Amino acid sequence: MPASALIERPVAGPVQGTDSTDARAVDWAAMTDDLELSSDTPPRSFEEQALPFMDQLYAAALRMTRNPSDAQDLVQETFVKAFAAWNQFHQGTNLKAWLYRILTNTFINSYRKKQREPYQTPIEDLEDWQLGGAESTTSRSTRSAEAEAIDHLPDSDVKNALQAIPEDFRMAVYFADVEGFSYQEIADIMKTPIGTVMSRLHRGRRLLRDLLSDYARDRGSAAQTPPARSTR
Amino acid sequence: MTDCGCDKAKKDLEEYLHHELQAVDAADIREHLETCADCAGEAKVGVVLIEAVQRACRETAPEELRVQVLARIRELQTHA
Repeated sequence: MPASALIERPVAGPVQGTDSTDARAVDWAAMTDDLELSSDTPPRSFEEQALPFMDQLYAAALRMTRNPSDAQDLVQETFVKAFAAWNQFHQGTNLKAWLYRILTNTFINSYRKKQREPYQTPIEDLEDWQLGGAESTTSRSTRSAEAEAIDHLPDSDVKNALQAIPEDFRMAVYFADVEGFSYQEIADIMKTPIGTVMSRLHRGRRLLRDLLSDYARDRGSAAQTPPARSTR
Repeated sequence: MTDCGCDKAKKDLEEYLHHELQAVDAADIREHLETCADCAGEAKVGVVLIEAVQRACRETAPEELRVQVLARIRELQTHA
């Protein structure tokens, strides 16, 4: 069976029970049995395919807009746009990345402008020392302690740290670490060269790590404060 | 800095953790991490960081959003 047969399957419309003069549909129905592709034939609707990503898109929207009300609006707008452009989506390609691209575009075009966020310096121009590279200060013996401390931090601390780092860094970290997108996919979603993705990711994770280590240190020193009541 | 592969491992650690390396390079680093406590510690921090972010970012969309989106789409469908 030629590989192209897989790509040429109909994008929309019912496959079975249609006009039998449609040779393509008949061929496809015949192929299905051989290839055991029963789970996704006929092509599923927008609702079936796209809506399961709602939780993920909402989580990303929350990290972008930093408030639930804007996040809801952003997700709703994303789905409306995706639905309107549904015939442009190529079945079999990465739907999740496609939806994230729409989400990111929508956020940049309609939400970022109205966010009351002070203008951020183009942080990519900063040198590494200005971002505080802690690599030299973290000694071998404290690394396992650092890992353990970060591991025990409450989610609220991690969220606060994410909110505190520049948006482009935050989203690069989000796309890579939460969604597991490849660098190339992130480059497509953020419309930047892959080198920029790597730089954002590296610096974002560095900032995050330093912030979380600070939080852990603060919590640690608070925990070590002796209890007010004495046993004697 | 020793010449035991630490330079390469430290430089490529992020790409390793994000599965962006070619199989050969990834194997080199994996091998190095087994014998180098320093780099293994660094890798551990990297993994913990990824897991912490994943944990913190788990969200469930509010039910009202689900309802609104479905309503919007069905409305668009009937007007199409």
